[in-house]
Amino acid sequence: MSEPLMQSPLHDLGLAARARAIDDSAGTWACERPLAAFISLRGHVSDAAFVAAVSKALGTALPVKPCTTSEAAQTKVLWLSPDEWMIVAPRAEKARLLAALGASLKGIRSQVIDNSGGYTQVVLTGGYATDVLAHTTVYDVHALEPGRVVGTTFGKASLYLRRDGDGYVLLFRRSFADYILRYLERAAGPYGFAVASAETTGTS
Amino acid sequence: MFLIHCPHCGEAREEEEFSYGGEAFIARPGKPAEIGDEAWGDYLFMRKNPKGWHWEMWGHATGCRKWFVVKRHTANHTIAGSWTLTEGRKVYDAEATS
Repeated sequence: MSEPLMQSPLHDLGLAARARAIDDSAGTWACERPLAAFISLRGHVSDAAFVAAVSKALGTALPVKPCTTSEAAQTKVLWLSPDEWMIVAPRAEKARLLAALGASLKGIRSQVIDNSGGYTQVVLTGGYATDVLAHTTVYDVHALEPGRVVGTTFGKASLYLRRDGDGYVLLFRRSFADYILRYLERAAGPYGFAVASAETTGTS
Repeated sequence: MFLIHCPHCGEAREEEEFSYGGEAFIARPGKPAEIGDEAWGDYLFMRKNPKGWHWEMWGHATGCRKWFVVKRHTANHTIAGSWTLTEGRKVYDAEATS
């Protein structure tokens, strides 16, 4: 039996081969942050012990206000629902986070699921990133403030959208990945679409 | 298109983000085995179809994926408000008794 192969859901699109440093030649730049750790966390926000245990394990306060985020070092915590959060971190951090959450939440009604195979993230930057997104989602992208995360539509699919510096981070399920990236490229056509190399779009 | 305020996300969002769940607060008969076919049929299939205010359920399908209730006018589409199921039930009951 061959070893299981870990590859991004966007693997087949060959983005890495097209990647280059960001310049003025295109209005929108996409860059995948592949193979991150995605941990799905569920629990009751009214349970003070749960909130305290998670905050202790993650080293940052659990965002309890709707549509907000918090972060610690390279870890991002996204509010998805009154009883659901997504923890995004580098893949190398996964085992440590799962262990810390498991130990901290022992005996507390909650759920910690490793969903790392189920999602991927794409960073969209460039002068026309906002305009391109406005073509694809019903959310008022101009009104999206830093530090917020919203679940909304993208074409016929859905994703979680948040700002990241001058650009946006699109977080979506792996089954939508091919559709979303092709949709993005087509929507960005009039503005120019290019793939940015990872080091030019930050790492968070 | 409606702009619907999601009581869980605390924001008004486009209708496209939601899915419609039909009439709200339909009480399931407590002892299904003891009621007749007609009463069970009413519970399963019969719905109000008012021209006027209508309490209905909406799910925030692409957002928080929670269900909540909206009071909407079916003739002019005015939305009187949206509540979580618990809060909405109180308003609904208060209306029914007033």
